[in-house]
Amino acid sequence: MAIVWKDFVTEFKTRELFSAMFIFALLVILIFIFSVNLSIVKASEVGPGILWVAFLFSGTLGLNRSFVLEKENGCLMGLILAPADRTTIYFGKLISNFVFLTAMELFILPLFMVFFNIDLLEHLLPLLLVIFLGTLGFCTLGTLLSSLSSNLKTREIMLPILLYPLLVPIVIGVVRMTGQILAGEPLSGMMNWIGLTASFDIIYIGVSIMTIDHILEE
Amino acid sequence: MIDIPKPDPSHFAIVVRQLCKEFGGLKAVDGISFDLKRGEFLSVFGPNGAGKTTLIKVLTGLTRPSSGIAKVAGYQVEDGMSEMRRQIGVISHSPALYADLTPMENLVFFGKMYGLDHPQDSALAVLEDVGLAIRRNDQVRTFSRGMLQRLSIARAILHNPSILFLDEPFTGLDIHASNVLKEHLQTLHDNKRTILMTTHDISCGLEMCDKVALQVMGKFAFFKDIKDVDKENFEALYFDAVRNNQFTMDIRPN
Repeated sequence: MAIVWKDFVTEFKTRELFSAMFIFALLVILIFIFSVNLSIVKASEVGPGILWVAFLFSGTLGLNRSFVLEKENGCLMGLILAPADRTTIYFGKLISNFVFLTAMELFILPLFMVFFNIDLLEHLLPLLLVIFLGTLGFCTLGTLLSSLSSNLKTREIMLPILLYPLLVPIVIGVVRMTGQILAGEPLSGMMNWIGLTASFDIIYIGVSIMTIDHILEE
Repeated sequence: MIDIPKPDPSHFAIVVRQLCKEFGGLKAVDGISFDLKRGEFLSVFGPNGAGKTTLIKVLTGLTRPSSGIAKVAGYQVEDGMSEMRRQIGVISHSPALYADLTPMENLVFFGKMYGLDHPQDSALAVLEDVGLAIRRNDQVRTFSRGMLQRLSIARAILHNPSILFLDEPFTGLDIHASNVLKEHLQTLHDNKRTILMTTHDISCGLEMCDKVALQVMGKFAFFKDIKDVDKENFEALYFDAVRNNQFTMDIRPN
């Protein structure tokens, strides 16, 4: 929890991460608002894709920043030298990334509701579950890959190139589920998608635990 | 088969046998062997690219050795990493401090990472030791290079390690900051801490140490007690090594 505390104190002071992610997500939604004719297509059909594009793209910004902060001044070396297990470092960063991204998503949701004229309140709980599953998968894999790409000169380019193809199963799952929720379908009708997304979340957590020791080695 | 004696853990702080670290085909550390008793100060000199930093990275467990054995504080590097890390402190080129946090916040954070019982008290104590208690609530971003290096020492000794690794700690410091750092290192040495320091500063390095090593192209080409070292001769050897990145002078590697 020390890492989470440190990330929160840093973010509270700088407000770099949250504001950058929030503004970027907002701009993505605004661009789609102007480019999609909502009198021709249904908001509940295009909305889920737009919402998740905003979440994932802005989340990538946050992930890139997350490990760069650790690399600055050799702080990552200081962390690795501590007697804590390296998986502890990974889970500390994962929790920080998850909390920051979820907070940003919760701020974006009301704006999305207004811009697309969709009533999310009646589907709020199932939607939060889907957002939880999607964000967890994104942060699990994203934290692992951002620790890997933070050693590269081209990290800003490499992170999305490595991350997005591996995220496809989760993205398909959460976009489908969000669409079905907005169409008024019950959660019980989408257990396959929930199972698929949760399975990938677990797989990515397992892969991260197995590989983080080698990835964090200099 | 590497012959490694069973060192008395209370006697030897560092035992290294035939240590190698390769990157591709390049041997950054090439068959180094030496012992360092508890409380001894070893200065390692060598030209850029000689493998000094890699040696420290291997000994501190930041990177795995390709072959050979290294025991630090009685623990074999790789096997007893967690316990070994409680016994070592590292000061590197970079301070390993978060620029947006204050010294107090930085040290409390690292104190928590080391599982200290009272990180606040420990942080304040080491800040007083390095003369930065008065600046404890300022952002680290505003610190000079000399202050950063002192804070870096505070971070390294926060958990009261018995062994310190210093990787070119005098780099970028002005004369005053360099003298202040030297005083701190002398105090740490007087307090019986084992110190392994890589440096290019010959006068500082020779003045403080008990043992001297010269590393060239990954090998220890020279390793002696300071009392057996002719300083002028050593300076000539060092400059020869730096100029040619190899030994051209007639010396007998130890």
